[in-house]
Amino acid sequence: MARASSPRREDIRQAAAEWVIRLAASGAAPEDQAAFAAWRDADPAHEAAYEREASAWVELDRLRALRPGDGLPDPDLLAPIRSTSRRSIPRTAPWRRPWAVAAGFVLVVGLVTTLAVSTFTSPAYATALGERRVVVLPDRTRMELNTNSKVVVRYRRGQREVELVRGEAVFEVAADSRPFIIATPDGHLTAQGAELAVRLTTGDEASVVVRQGKVSATNAAGREVASLTRAQTALLNDGRARVRAVDPGEVDRRLAWRQGAIALDGQSLAEASAEFNRYNVQKIVLMDEATASLKLGGYFRTSDIDGFVRAVTDVFPVSAETTPDGEIRLRQAS
Amino acid sequence: MSNADDARRAWFRREILPLEPGLRAYARRFSRSGAVDVEDLVHETFARLISYENWESLTNAPAFASRVLKNIAVDQRRREGIVAIESVADVEALSIGVDQPGPELDVLWRDELRLLADIVAQLPERLRQVFTLRKVYGLSHKQIADRLGLSVSTVEKHLAKSLRICSDELARHPRTETIKTGASWRARRHLDGKT
Repeated sequence: MARASSPRREDIRQAAAEWVIRLAASGAAPEDQAAFAAWRDADPAHEAAYEREASAWVELDRLRALRPGDGLPDPDLLAPIRSTSRRSIPRTAPWRRPWAVAAGFVLVVGLVTTLAVSTFTSPAYATALGERRVVVLPDRTRMELNTNSKVVVRYRRGQREVELVRGEAVFEVAADSRPFIIATPDGHLTAQGAELAVRLTTGDEASVVVRQGKVSATNAAGREVASLTRAQTALLNDGRARVRAVDPGEVDRRLAWRQGAIALDGQSLAEASAEFNRYNVQKIVLMDEATASLKLGGYFRTSDIDGFVRAVTDVFPVSAETTPDGEIRLRQAS
Repeated sequence: MSNADDARRAWFRREILPLEPGLRAYARRFSRSGAVDVEDLVHETFARLISYENWESLTNAPAFASRVLKNIAVDQRRREGIVAIESVADVEALSIGVDQPGPELDVLWRDELRLLADIVAQLPERLRQVFTLRKVYGLSHKQIADRLGLSVSTVEKHLAKSLRICSDELARHPRTETIKTGASWRARRHLDGKT
């Protein structure tokens, strides 16, 4: 039965989709931004509809994984299969290999076994390989731990301090009169009402990305080495800091793990497989330099090595071989 | 405060939008008589949720969302003079979305790229071509317009129309973000008890 409000709903969603497209256009003007904000703020239904369309738009970026490695753009790449012998994706998913199930299992086990080790003074929160965890601290600071990470929380009178012992975490720091301090092996970060991600890299560096707010980095001697603000990143190492600006898209890409995803936008296969190896027991090994330097785009679930390897071998002249101990070896197809 | 608004919208995207397939299924229980439109109900629920001030203190977003939906449905029926309310199971007992991650969800995710490709394949030809050039190849609106001999504004209209079709299609399919939602509220609730 048609109701009066249905056309209105569709009008709103249509307007929302038009805004998504207009704002995604390369030449979107500041006036557009202002007009958009006015439209969005006029009604929560507008705001919700916009989020719905915008989120679908972002999700559809996964389609980039289907882009062939070379050749001119083909507008009929995704034409229905019956039309011609277009490139197509296999209809069925013959992917129920035992290790894919194992990857899922790691996720489940990670969620079921609580690794939060509580002591009276300093609770520590840790995640297993492939696990993510959200912790809300007593001051409502929200902390999200990525795979294989550990954070010790030391809240005492007048002081909010956490120590990143391993891995990576995002902190949405609640505003409070006390500073929020993140201790790392490479120095201290002091944040006030900020949102930032900190990651300890294998090269003994701490990489910081600030999404909102202000963050100050000090070395072991307590001297400030960097002052960071929105959309800046820094590498801290041995008391020194290298700061640079990043665009918001790059911040989102680096934090795609919060959606359980790895987002790639021109990274090399070497970088991409190092990312996958952070999340999975099963490891990808690249056998030659040509393979390692291939550039990729796309959006994958962190545990979806299978889909990733499939995309790579579909698009590039690369072959995959799984060794008896479960390693996936990628090399140039002969 | 625009930071607070951004955080609220991020929460909405992260925790609420992935519930859409589950909420639609739930909304169908209220629309058996045909008096309540499922799409409208979900649309209205989203509008209420995105403007919910206390979102930060919610520990169980799926249960809260279904309660909001139920209230709207009940209100609507009252307004329309439909008094009899069939017993609808308690919201807390409902499982919205998939809250038990399991191996089968890996398969779901792997099939998701397929799903996206299938949705695009079903667009009308012109929309499909424009959309493919934009989303698979990342061409600008101007480049697409030149290549296909269209105006930029036509390209943008086609893209908006394609997006509308795709977002509705996507909302029909439970997707993997649901895992995350289910997992994250459970983890948080668990830890809330500890802190």
